[in-house]
Amino acid sequence: MKKLSTLLVSILASITLSSTAFAAGGGGVTLDEPYINMSDKASLQNGAKLFVNYCLSCHNAEYARYNRVAEDLEIPLYQLKQNLMFTTDKEGDLMKTTMPAEDAKDWFGVTPPDLTLVSRVRKPNWVYTYLRAFYRDDSSPSGWDNSLFEKVAMPHAMYELQGVQSLVERLPIDASGKIIDKDKVELDENHTLVGNAIFELSHPGEMTPAEFDKAMADLTGFLVYLAEPAIMKRKTIGVYSIAFLLILMGLCYLLKKEYWRDLH
Amino acid sequence: MADNHVSDESVQHSDENSVEDIKRRRFITGITAGFGAVGGAMAVTPFVMSMSPSERAKNAGAPVQYDYSKIQEGQMVKVEWRGKPVVLLKRTPEMMQGLKEIEGSLADVMSDQSIQPEYAKNEDRSDPAKPELLVMEGVCTHLGCSPVEKLAIGPDPQMGDDSQGGFFCPCHGSKFDLAGRVYKNVPATTNMPVPPFKFEGNVIVIGDDVGRA
Amino acid sequence: MAIHRHDNHKSANGFMKWMDDRMPVTKVWNEHLAEYMAPKNFNFWYYFGSLAILVLVIQLVTGIFLTMHYKPDAALAFASVEYIMRDVPYGWLIRYMHSTGASMFFVVVYMHMFRGIIYGSHREPRELVWLIGCVIFVALMAEAFMGYLLPWGNMSYWGAQVIISLFDVIPYFGPMLTEWIRGDFVISDATLNRFFAFHVILLPLILVALVFLHLVALHHVGSNNPDGIDIYEELDENGHPKDGIPFHPYYTVKDLVGVCGFLIIYLGIIFFFPDLGGIFLEKDNFATANPLQTPPDIVPLWYFTPFYSILRASTDTLLQFFAYSSVIIAVAAALLTKFEIKVKAGILVAGIVAALVFMNSSGKAWGVILMAAAIVCFFLLPWLDRSPVRSIRYRSWPFKVALAIFIVAFFILGYLGMNAPTPVKTLMAQVCTCIYFAFFVLMPWFTSIGKTKPLPTRLTMPAEH
Repeated sequence: MKKLSTLLVSILASITLSSTAFAAGGGGVTLDEPYINMSDKASLQNGAKLFVNYCLSCHNAEYARYNRVAEDLEIPLYQLKQNLMFTTDKEGDLMKTTMPAEDAKDWFGVTPPDLTLVSRVRKPNWVYTYLRAFYRDDSSPSGWDNSLFEKVAMPHAMYELQGVQSLVERLPIDASGKIIDKDKVELDENHTLVGNAIFELSHPGEMTPAEFDKAMADLTGFLVYLAEPAIMKRKTIGVYSIAFLLILMGLCYLLKKEYWRDLH
Repeated sequence: MADNHVSDESVQHSDENSVEDIKRRRFITGITAGFGAVGGAMAVTPFVMSMSPSERAKNAGAPVQYDYSKIQEGQMVKVEWRGKPVVLLKRTPEMMQGLKEIEGSLADVMSDQSIQPEYAKNEDRSDPAKPELLVMEGVCTHLGCSPVEKLAIGPDPQMGDDSQGGFFCPCHGSKFDLAGRVYKNVPATTNMPVPPFKFEGNVIVIGDDVGRA
Repeated sequence: MAIHRHDNHKSANGFMKWMDDRMPVTKVWNEHLAEYMAPKNFNFWYYFGSLAILVLVIQLVTGIFLTMHYKPDAALAFASVEYIMRDVPYGWLIRYMHSTGASMFFVVVYMHMFRGIIYGSHREPRELVWLIGCVIFVALMAEAFMGYLLPWGNMSYWGAQVIISLFDVIPYFGPMLTEWIRGDFVISDATLNRFFAFHVILLPLILVALVFLHLVALHHVGSNNPDGIDIYEELDENGHPKDGIPFHPYYTVKDLVGVCGFLIIYLGIIFFFPDLGGIFLEKDNFATANPLQTPPDIVPLWYFTPFYSILRASTDTLLQFFAYSSVIIAVAAALLTKFEIKVKAGILVAGIVAALVFMNSSGKAWGVILMAAAIVCFFLLPWLDRSPVRSIRYRSWPFKVALAIFIVAFFILGYLGMNAPTPVKTLMAQVCTCIYFAFFVLMPWFTSIGKTKPLPTRLTMPAEH
């Protein structure tokens, strides 16, 4: 019986582990991992600023409200109105773009998707890699392509910041998306590695590659928050509730012992 | 339930337990029940909270703004706030004078029983800085109908022969004066409520008086 | 009218006496809790019955509160779930409680079923308890499947599309039936609306009623125990079982410990890993339903995956294997058993007919049949199991080996069902499908061979006593 339980537990554990690994791996693409810290409000505020300036002009975040973002990110209301609210003057409104969906469809061929939940649909690593993987491609209708999302309809919204880069080569990867021979990759200051693609910076932007990476990590962090505002609270509540339950469990155990003393 | 034991081979008789045993058992049971009750209260909280107005409702119920400089003397407009008609009436000097003359026939002259912000608790039921402007929820305090305005001074079939202007509720005949104060001997017993409001230049903000000058 | 007074149960005070004269409050309390005699050696596995009731209550309560904000309308459903997650105070917590609760319900129920199998709780006289339990399991699967459509995410949509299409294989009536179930030619607002009605009213009512019957039947025959012996034969001078203890307070306080332990895991998932790496909430379901774009891998939630794997494993290869096996099993049964010659001939004919049927039908139809059969097998367990003892503690080794292999196969099927199929994985699923059915088909044989251990006359207590 003991053996059976041990067997069961180990099978369960290995399946959980392997399936989590599967879910995280994404299968066959190379993704970079940003540093995201939900308690770094300055980083999230910067992400919010980038979001309303560069994303919200075409994309909706139609489930999120401005005042909630301001409250969770500790942005004062007057700053919210001055710096973040371009589409409405009512701070409780949903974050909607001013661009009509039909126009967007005419211009880009597709309606730009809503971004409220993008980091839960695509996962943060994908978003972070995608944002940095635009490169110049004159053969495409928009003049841009993306090494992670080929033939993407979206043009590079932040080329002023990143500069213009061109694709040098894609490095071979294994089945799990790992770059083979990663140690042998050598980069100078004009070349960057995004996912498994090496880019050459042909026109520098307002930011250095390192600054741009940090900005995109901020933006990704903001999108993680935006997809699940409860993330700011739930872990704290979790710690308290579980601490409480541990005490209650201890008491219940004593109570059980106490009553079971009757039995022999 | 310590005395609820069934006499049984597996279970000792409860009278075999010493007084200390019973005390200890009561203590542990009590403290566990106490903790459990606290946990239960915490578990209930989110469910209770979830029924209060959501962010969407709060946004829909957010303060509304209106440029009151457009209102002519003696003119009345209605603005919707939280699904209720809010009356904005710029009263003429004659109307203001009329308010004083009828005080004897009113039920709550000083609005002691009625709902209004502190700054509107006066005879005119208005902001002393702009006494002529009446800001009031146009909702009868009897059963929630919306009274009809009777702004003209003079005889009126509903308001009476010596009317100084007022509001008449078509549902059950309650009468109010031009400050929303209720007459005696009508179904309603309190004056119509005044919502919180503040001025920002030419704009009146209804529903919010935070930072009121 | 004279009040018929029940004197057999003393009422504690005037109020209770007034109540007891009109309604059997004290009587029910005593019969089902204070004087319900449970075996005194319940172990870890016995927590899951009370936990299943706890999760049922959690799902009912959180469900009621979600219904206050959810909109069963294809145009509004997805947004209303996000509204709950963001705009409703603590809506996110209630929604996570419900989504995590659904998965935990299956965790608890699977553990509860496993307990039944290892200790022989399905055996005479508890067959009805087991059967009602199996119906609860099926109702729970229906409840979970319909609830999964409600968020109107892309996986909701395509999951429902795939599962409803299973009914297409029914000859002649299939296409008509699927249209009737959907109420449309595609999954649509009509489907969402009726699934909502079933999910929030019909199935919860059925589930509660079934749980009630499950308990009525259990308390009529008495609880089994890890030794699988009958405690209701050895009575003391008061007519109570010598090895029985009152459920209340002894098991109520013990179950409280289990409840706390469960809540720690449950809330740990809710507060720290609400998606559980995509297992409890799938990432494709954070995108709204899109009838034009199938998610890259359509997989059901984890609790359906063993059965989903069996569905996918059904190809011509598997059917050929089934055809050969039915002949071999029939021949073996004819040669090795001591039945009459007529019976042997019957078995042989049945085997050959089965083989012909397997060889001449389509994999798609058999996938659905096998998936249904995989669930039906559980219903037959009380009659397939022929061991002279109930508990695994005293059973012969062939049963233990078979059960261990079955559990491994069940987990592998579950794992494979979460992944996109590859040739190797399909082959693995086919092998495990064979093991799954072999466990049930061969059960009458392997439970009746080997040497069982002698049963004790009284319960054996866990080491701590």
